[in-house]
Amino acid sequence: MAHSNVSRRQALALLGGAGAGAFAFSMPAIAQQSAGRVVVVGGGFGGATAARYLKRGNPKLSVTLIEPAKRFYTCPFTNLYFGGLRTFEQEGHTFDDLRRAGVQVVHERASDIDTKAKSVALSGGRKLPYDKLVLSPGIDFRWGALEGYDEAAAQLAPHAWQAGPQTTLLKKQLDSMQDGGLFIIVAPDNPFRCPPGPYERASMVAHYLKTKKPKSKLLILDAKDSFSKQGLFQDGWKKFYADNLEWVPRAKDGKVVKVNAKTLEVETEFGGKHKAAVLNVIPPQKAGAIADRAGVTNQSGWVPVKPQTFESTQVPDVYVVGDATIAAPMPKSGFCANAQGKVAAAAIVAALAGRPAPTASWANTCYSLIAPDYGISVAGVYAVDDGKLIEVKGSGGVSPREAPDSFRKLEADYGVGWYNAITQDTWGSKPAV
Amino acid sequence: MSRSALQNGAALARRASIATLFGLGATLTLVQPGAAQSAADVVVLAGPCANCHGTDGRSPGPIVSIAGRPEALLLEQLMAFKSNNPPPGTTIMNRLAKGYTDEQLAALAAHFSKISANAPAAAPAKKKGK
Repeated sequence: MAHSNVSRRQALALLGGAGAGAFAFSMPAIAQQSAGRVVVVGGGFGGATAARYLKRGNPKLSVTLIEPAKRFYTCPFTNLYFGGLRTFEQEGHTFDDLRRAGVQVVHERASDIDTKAKSVALSGGRKLPYDKLVLSPGIDFRWGALEGYDEAAAQLAPHAWQAGPQTTLLKKQLDSMQDGGLFIIVAPDNPFRCPPGPYERASMVAHYLKTKKPKSKLLILDAKDSFSKQGLFQDGWKKFYADNLEWVPRAKDGKVVKVNAKTLEVETEFGGKHKAAVLNVIPPQKAGAIADRAGVTNQSGWVPVKPQTFESTQVPDVYVVGDATIAAPMPKSGFCANAQGKVAAAAIVAALAGRPAPTASWANTCYSLIAPDYGISVAGVYAVDDGKLIEVKGSGGVSPREAPDSFRKLEADYGVGWYNAITQDTWGSKPAV
Repeated sequence: MSRSALQNGAALARRASIATLFGLGATLTLVQPGAAQSAADVVVLAGPCANCHGTDGRSPGPIVSIAGRPEALLLEQLMAFKSNNPPPGTTIMNRLAKGYTDEQLAALAAHFSKISANAPAAAPAKKKGK
């Protein structure tokens, strides 16, 4: 045992070292009589799920997952961290269980993709060849599209729309804000990651303010006139935050057109000016930058895909899942990214075995927490009809408007149940204590 | 998304009253009427169930496990959800069940009934020769 462990460790060290090159990576493929090499870029809901389900679909596949972070933090449930209901670490997940499932996890950044040679260049200098590539690149920001809001500005007025240092920065600002301050959330126009996210965040920050800093207020300045689960959110706000939360739609001059991150001032479309104590700007977005390198984005900045398989319509053998894709009517949610990861994995397993892709099917459920014990949801079932992605007629919809508090309490509990289940399914995580 | 969610909400309310008036099942939609389900199709169909009920239907949290429950019971519950007669204590499955044909629900009930309730999640790696 000791002997084989040492040699295995040496092999792993070789794998981890820069310059080990294609040699080290072709070894396991040969040893396993690989049925094909699949590289997955991005270890979030879409990519980690695709990697796991590729291995489940055919254990003989060589599956390599590229993800810089050793611990991945989800955006979902970080709003509860702002509300003081969870810690940040409860949203962190490791890749240990994916390794146990036979996925090779490489903690580097994919720096480029050569879709002609079919290889992925890593930040460490190596190149990984693939037969099929899965991209789950998430989002990047259109820096500068909102005047005054660039990467430097995000250090002063955080977006916290990718979980990580931005999340803890915004929480620190909230914690150190003086009572009586104004917390402003700048909400973007569609499409963007997590449609109900800004409004759940507003709810959770308002809950924190109400309980910890009762003289403070929260203002949402919105580039839109309507948003996900709007009626349910507004019912909840009336019930819990009538005194400390205000939503300003575009029609009431809610659209922010200029940000001054140094003074924490914003200017709206018709000249309104607001000064914040804490400024949370959720800026316009696009597909993660690696999607551009692969040539799969179109002029919209997002990625068109073939509905049945989520293979790029522009580049063969590249499958794209998650927030980066144009998948409406599916929302840009973690649930959908996971569901798309499974559909793409099944399509790849079939293609590499020379079989047609199975019939695709997806669902979404999305819970939002307005106050502790007060949750709401939206759901949908999606299919391909006549070559197009559709929401199955008659399915889905939001929680009933007229429901007793016991119903809201159940949905708050089921939200936690959802998080436990999907993080188990994606990363193999156990419920955080 | 936001608009369609709202419209869905309104549609749902309308549908509820229609269902009350004209009996259940009036608005069921068949995506692929009579399509036979291959084994691979059913695995894909069952994929999203894991996101709330746990991988292979074994729940790690407060949502019920569905793995290894009797097929007839699973189907009865799914049909109850679909016909807007959800069991007490449930909130969302009636909205989801309406997205599937009766054949698809039957396939899902059969699928999850055959998975052991207790076994560890399908572990592919036993040949590591430690």
